[in-house]
Amino acid sequence: MHRHDRFVRKIVPAGAVSVLATVLLVGYAAEPDRYTRGFEPEQPVHFSHRLHAGDNHIPCQYCHTGPSKSRTAGVPPLETCLNCHRVTRTDRPAIQQITAWAKSGKPFEWRRIYSLPDHVYFDHRPHVNSGIACQECHGEVQRMERISQAMSLRMGACLACHRDPSDALPPGSSIKQGPTHCAVCHR
Amino acid sequence: MRDSERKLWKTPEQALGALGAPSGEFPEGAQEAMELPEAGPSRRRFLGLLGASAALASGSACSRKVDRGPIVAYTRKPEEVIPGVAAHYASTFQEGETASPVLVKSREGRPIHVQGNDEHPFGWGKAPLRATADLLGLYDPDRLRGPVVDGKPATWDVAEGRLAAGVKDAVAKGTQVVLMTGAVVSPALASLVDELGRLIPGLRHVALEPASDAVARDVAREVYGEPVVARPRYDKADVVLSLGADFLGTMDGASQAIAQFAGRRKPADVGSPMSRLWVLEGSMTLTGSKADHRLALRPSALGKVGFAIARALAVRHGLPLPAGLTLETLPPLDLGKVAAECRLDAKALEALAGDLARAKSVALAVAGPGAPPEAHAACHLLNAMLGAVGATVELEPVPRARQLATAAVLDALVADLGAGKVGALISWGVNPSYVWPDAAGWAAAAAKAPFRAHLALSLDETAAVSGVVLPVNHWLESWGDFDAGPGLTSLRQPLIAPLFDTRQGEEVLLALAIGLGARLPGDFHAYLAGLWQQGHSLAGPVPFERFWHASLHDGFVRRAIAPAAPPPLKPAALVTAAAAAFQAVPAEGLELQLVPDSKVYDGRYANNGWLQELPDPVSKVVWGNPLSLSLADAKRLGLALGDEVRLEAAGRSVTVPVLEQPGQAEGVVTLALGYGRAAGSVAAGVGVSAWPLVGTNPASPFGVGPVKVTPAGRNSRVVRTQEHHSLDGRDLAKLWTRAEYAKERGAHEEAPVSLYADQQFPEHKWGMAIDLSGCVGCSACVIACQSENNVPVVGPEQVERGREMAWLRIDRYYEGSPDAPRVVHEPMLCQHCDSAPCENVCPVAATTHSPDGLNQMAYNRCVGTRYCANNCPYKVRRFNFFEFNQNLSEVRDLAFNPEVTVRPRGVMEKCTFCVQRISNAKQVAKAEGRPMRDGDVKPACAVACPAEAITFGDLKDASSRVAKLAGSDRRFHVLGELGVRPAVTYLADVRNPSGEGTE
Repeated sequence: MHRHDRFVRKIVPAGAVSVLATVLLVGYAAEPDRYTRGFEPEQPVHFSHRLHAGDNHIPCQYCHTGPSKSRTAGVPPLETCLNCHRVTRTDRPAIQQITAWAKSGKPFEWRRIYSLPDHVYFDHRPHVNSGIACQECHGEVQRMERISQAMSLRMGACLACHRDPSDALPPGSSIKQGPTHCAVCHR
Repeated sequence: MRDSERKLWKTPEQALGALGAPSGEFPEGAQEAMELPEAGPSRRRFLGLLGASAALASGSACSRKVDRGPIVAYTRKPEEVIPGVAAHYASTFQEGETASPVLVKSREGRPIHVQGNDEHPFGWGKAPLRATADLLGLYDPDRLRGPVVDGKPATWDVAEGRLAAGVKDAVAKGTQVVLMTGAVVSPALASLVDELGRLIPGLRHVALEPASDAVARDVAREVYGEPVVARPRYDKADVVLSLGADFLGTMDGASQAIAQFAGRRKPADVGSPMSRLWVLEGSMTLTGSKADHRLALRPSALGKVGFAIARALAVRHGLPLPAGLTLETLPPLDLGKVAAECRLDAKALEALAGDLARAKSVALAVAGPGAPPEAHAACHLLNAMLGAVGATVELEPVPRARQLATAAVLDALVADLGAGKVGALISWGVNPSYVWPDAAGWAAAAAKAPFRAHLALSLDETAAVSGVVLPVNHWLESWGDFDAGPGLTSLRQPLIAPLFDTRQGEEVLLALAIGLGARLPGDFHAYLAGLWQQGHSLAGPVPFERFWHASLHDGFVRRAIAPAAPPPLKPAALVTAAAAAFQAVPAEGLELQLVPDSKVYDGRYANNGWLQELPDPVSKVVWGNPLSLSLADAKRLGLALGDEVRLEAAGRSVTVPVLEQPGQAEGVVTLALGYGRAAGSVAAGVGVSAWPLVGTNPASPFGVGPVKVTPAGRNSRVVRTQEHHSLDGRDLAKLWTRAEYAKERGAHEEAPVSLYADQQFPEHKWGMAIDLSGCVGCSACVIACQSENNVPVVGPEQVERGREMAWLRIDRYYEGSPDAPRVVHEPMLCQHCDSAPCENVCPVAATTHSPDGLNQMAYNRCVGTRYCANNCPYKVRRFNFFEFNQNLSEVRDLAFNPEVTVRPRGVMEKCTFCVQRISNAKQVAKAEGRPMRDGDVKPACAVACPAEAITFGDLKDASSRVAKLAGSDRRFHVLGELGVRPAVTYLADVRNPSGEGTE
């Protein structure tokens, strides 16, 4: 046997395999989508979007008033809930609970689902104002009993749509592309 | 003279050619590891180290399926708040006797930026530099969290109980109650003080503004026989004569003065009229740096020169003397002889007199705090002779409540304190233990007062010796009303509920009044509104509620007032002053000028890191106050930068490092007040307190002479940014006289032909124009940028290594001889070059060009190679060597602008043209269904510039202001010959010297 044979036949392939395995393993472990999509935490109050947005057809922006005029969509103040629930379903424990909170003035904490990193400045306004439905990014909220993260928040997901937004835009929209330069989101 | 023959220089060494090689491309220590000082780390250094040793922040890009924190919903949303949208509220910043209407930007109820109120009725709605910077004062971690009684935290009930008991005790014993405050320019506060005066027999109100110009007040009172204040109108004056008056820099109300002055200094074309500025001064000031003619002389001679000019106006130009004065009553001060005596150019003084005589009522003379009383008197005489009173100078009577304590009042106070005649001493908004020149004398006298209470923001020097310390609200947490000019009252409303357990100072006084039996509301807003309602009920048919809310919205109330006829001059006072000027013998040796600092003022802002790290506009010194002296004096005394000297006057002394200041008059040394604080985690130990030297010359507290300067044989650190980011040796800034303007206009550099295709800008191409004629170098833009863009403070050790982080700096170049240089200020920021050299060398494409002309920087892509900074010809890129903005206290974090990334260690950063404002303006226009208009986007620097020297806009829109300016015949690009195609166009600084036939 040549003195290099063992090296060529065993060590090199083993090394190559282990390098490849490491790359794949790290890549798999670091793949953020696996961690992020489908995140569906328990909320402090069981609020059903299926019931409100789906069955009762309440428009998204009735409660989330921000997206057409602010970067953020905003979480409705408790007062908005009580607009209806001062009279409707006041017998339910959850309603009694939020009525009590609203009376006490104690700030109410929802669990955050969509969380962008600090160096990303997403703006709801251009998206909502160009007619893109909330569901394009947030999924079929009207069918969700509990909200779960529908869209990947990797830059690739943003860019894919910015490069070809035709599926997301309403028919007849004049917009061909979204901007793709850095300063649009990073500043 | 061709520009290429002109040498711009930054340091005297360069001018003299002493240094062959350009100094410090790499500042000392730039490449060395950081070493701990033996004495242990300071707080700032500790923060840097903490950041340095912290592990790199883990990528937050992939938030996992774990808790991502809460979203806190409003229970009841305030109607005007839209989360994510900034609201602006009008309020008022007051400093000394000047109140400035400001707008405060608020996000989700927390103030994040202060700018001028652009609806200011006189059009001077620019925020003073320190109004913008004092945002940090609100979020200062050193602020008191609650009352302190006998050194221990206490409740408000206990503290206010002690205050009331202390006052009652003093009254019962028949001793005085002394209330020390700053200037009272608030009508409501004046009424409250009156109220207390009725309740407390023997209440003595002392309004102390230690840095204000006492000489000007005293002289005006003598010359006019009643307390008046002269308000110069630089916007109306064709010729301005400054006798040591730094009205563009350190004097009160500088932002208004800059707005007025600069409006007359930006020629639209070669024939546009410009005002002319003559400056006679001892120190090199910002005003001197913008002068058309600057004559350096000892300030003690200013009176003599002033009266000689007045005499020349009467004798040679036939201007009438005011009633009661004749040539015989004035001493025979001949212009030529005085010029020879003061070693000035007689021809220049004659030209000055000629200028004034021609301009007559549109001329204006003004004297500064460091000038002797005779110079102030001479200015009153000159203005009266020229007919300027009522035209370019408005005389305003000073109401009793606004009158500040004179030196005699303060001396009497110390005497009474020492004699035990004062039973209670309440101080608020003043810090006598720090500013009192004879600190030991004050301490001994004040200790005799059995009860001492101090109302303050933080534990300052006076709080340390006061039994009861009551924490007060910051102005952004307070209500108020302030006299802001003739017929104008500016209102203050709180932007945020008190962050800590503090109360508004007025409320403490209200509580005291109530405790003494008055029937008053305990809430200052109710008191204030009540006073306004009383005044309002006599006025119009508008219901008070509506009037009040509308006024709070606007930020001010205007009343029509009839201008009062100016009181006649008292000839006797002028004759005395003229005689004094005539007899004044030029002092032998050195004389000292004390000035309020251009940044920390009288020391009240010394705990503000933004201000401490702001380079002084003239000397470019940060974190300290060296003694400026002329090059000749430095040579004679064998002193170089940083050598310490002992400065002695009338038995008091301080030891300071020195700085050679080009343009400083020989025989004059200058020292800034406001440093050498003993309290404050940022302020303590920075610089040297100059207060001990104030008033050693009773006639002129800030102009002291003679002083003895002895080398101390030691050397200490003077940190300045002067040589950092040097672009020297090239033709960088254009400074033209009007004749040169006529000759050289339109001769612009040709950018080399590029082999690459031009960048395409489909929609917009953002660009900026900076008019150097308007720019006075005040640095308001630098602070505004720092506040808007979360630019960190790095501390003197890092600045010394050239690691300051300012995105926008102001380069100051000298031209001509070091003894009498001309000065040009050039704001320098990222030029957003079309062919940006930084973009080509980035290995990871972290910096690229946007389709609207921005050189964009993606922080998360940056790996910190710093190639870009190396390749940037303008040296405007900044690298985060440490986690400067991490590990700040929780309350300091609130000052951050949520629209701008807080950059971590290891990334490059630079000016973005306030891309967050561009993006927002774009979306607002889109939502309103209209194209973007000129003026939609205003970067923080452009908004802050009192001179309106910075214009931003779309260069593709030919009708935009910036596009028009970019086509001006004064335009040039800094380093345009490199072919990098900068988006920033500069307009040459044009001066208007006399004798060029352009009068």
